[in-house]
Amino acid sequence: MRAFDVFTAKDSRHAVALLAEHAATSKVKVLAGGTDLLADLKFASASHAPDVVVDISRIEDLRSIAVTGDGLSIGALVTHTEIMRSPLIRDMFPAMVNAAHTIGAVQTRNLGTLGGNLVTAVPSVDSGPTLVALDALVTVLGPAGRRQMPLAEFFVGPRKTALKPDELLLEILIPTTSLGKPTCFLKFGLRKGQALALVNVAASFWVDRARNAFVAPRIALGAVAPKVVHASTAEAYLEGRAIAPEAMVEAGRLAVGDAKPISDFRASAEYRRDLVAVLTRRALEGAYELAKAKQSEK
Amino acid sequence: MTKVTLNVNGETRTASVPPEMTLLRLLREEFGLTGAKLGCDVGDCGACTVIVDGKTVNSCLMLAPQADGRDVLTVEGLATMERLHPIQKAFEEKGSLQCGFCGPGVIMSAKALLDENPDPSVLEIRDALAGNLCRCTGYSKMIEAIQDVARGDNRQPVGESA
Repeated sequence: MRAFDVFTAKDSRHAVALLAEHAATSKVKVLAGGTDLLADLKFASASHAPDVVVDISRIEDLRSIAVTGDGLSIGALVTHTEIMRSPLIRDMFPAMVNAAHTIGAVQTRNLGTLGGNLVTAVPSVDSGPTLVALDALVTVLGPAGRRQMPLAEFFVGPRKTALKPDELLLEILIPTTSLGKPTCFLKFGLRKGQALALVNVAASFWVDRARNAFVAPRIALGAVAPKVVHASTAEAYLEGRAIAPEAMVEAGRLAVGDAKPISDFRASAEYRRDLVAVLTRRALEGAYELAKAKQSEK
Repeated sequence: MTKVTLNVNGETRTASVPPEMTLLRLLREEFGLTGAKLGCDVGDCGACTVIVDGKTVNSCLMLAPQADGRDVLTVEGLATMERLHPIQKAFEEKGSLQCGFCGPGVIMSAKALLDENPDPSVLEIRDALAGNLCRCTGYSKMIEAIQDVARGDNRQPVGESA
C-alpha cells in the first residue's frame, strides 16, 4: 500500500473539521470499517491513492440504533453484525437482518459498517434495496451543518454519492411512516458465501385490511441500474390494487421495464431481467407473508 | 510513524509503525507471529483471521493503529508448549487440514464461533467458515472437528499433557 497520513477523528464534528482541512489540498478518504477501503487502496493507482485517511472508526456517537421522534435511527458506524443482532431491527425489519447476513462473511460483517456499505455505493449494494424500499433518509454533516436527503437520491451512480468531499454520513433514518412496514429482501448470487448480487430486490407495503389491498407499495432493485432504483411502474400498478398472486406476477413483469441491467462476466442482461421478474414476485409474496404473520400476532 | 500498544495473546506489545501498516503485517513482521497468513490481502480468503475484542476480523483489512488499545488473539495464543487447544487437537485427529495454510484462520473462526455458540448446527458452522477458503481438503473434516469439540469429544482433563 502507498504511504498516507492517518488522522483519527474523536467525534463527527472533528471528522468534518479534518475533512474540511485536508480535502482542499489532498486526496482524502474516510476509513470506517475498512473492508472496502483497504481492499481498494492495495490496488489503487498513484492517481487514486489518498494522501490522507481520516479514521472515523473510533467515533462513539455514530454507533447507536434507536427509535427517535423521527423514526429508526441507525448510526453510520453500526456494523452488519450489529444489525443482525439488534433486537429492535430483528423485530421491526427482518429484511434488514437478512440483507446484512448476505454481505461478505463473518469477518467482513464484524468490521464493515452500514454507512460504509452505502457510501461505497456499488450498484449491487446489499444494504441498499431494503432501505430504499423503506423510504430511508440519510443525514450528512458538513462544515455548514447537517442536511438530510432520501437515500435514493444519496446514491448518484456506480461508486458515486451526493456526499461532498468535506461531508460525513452520520445516520440512516427509517421514517416513522415506515416503522414495522412488512418488507422482504431477496438476493440472487452465484453461491451462498461472499457472493455479489446478480440482482437484489426489496419489496415493502402496508395492507389495507378492509379491502386486502396494497398501500404504499415500494419495490427497490439493485445491481440492474447504475444505482439502486425504485421499480416505479410496478409500484404505481400495485397502489390500491387488491392483493392477489396475479398482481404480484404482473408487478414482477412491470419491474423488468424499470430495470436497465447490463451484461458483464457475472450475468447477461437478459438473465438479470428474468431474475428481476422472479425476485420481485417472490419479495412481494415474502412481504405479504410477513404482513399476515404480524396481523395474526395482534 | 505511529506508536501502537495492544494486547496480543495476553501480553502488552508496543511498536512504532507507518500509519498504513496493516494489523497483519504488524503481527507478522514486528511481533514475529506468523500464524496469521497473508493470502489474498483483500479480505476474501480469511487466512489472516484473528480475533480482535472477541470478534473475528481479516487482519489484512485493519490498520495497525486501529488495533491500538485492543485485545488481539492469534492462533499462537491458543496452544501451550504442553498441549494443543481442543480445536487444534480435533483438527489433528480428523485430518482436517492438508497444506495447513488456511488452518490458523479457520481455527480462529471456529474459536470465535464456539465462544459465542457452544452447540452450533452444521449450517451455523458453515456460515462461520464462509469467510475462510480452503483449497486442499474441503470443509467436511473441519466441520466434523468443530462438531467434535462442541460435543466435548476432545475435552481433556485440565493439567493432562497432550
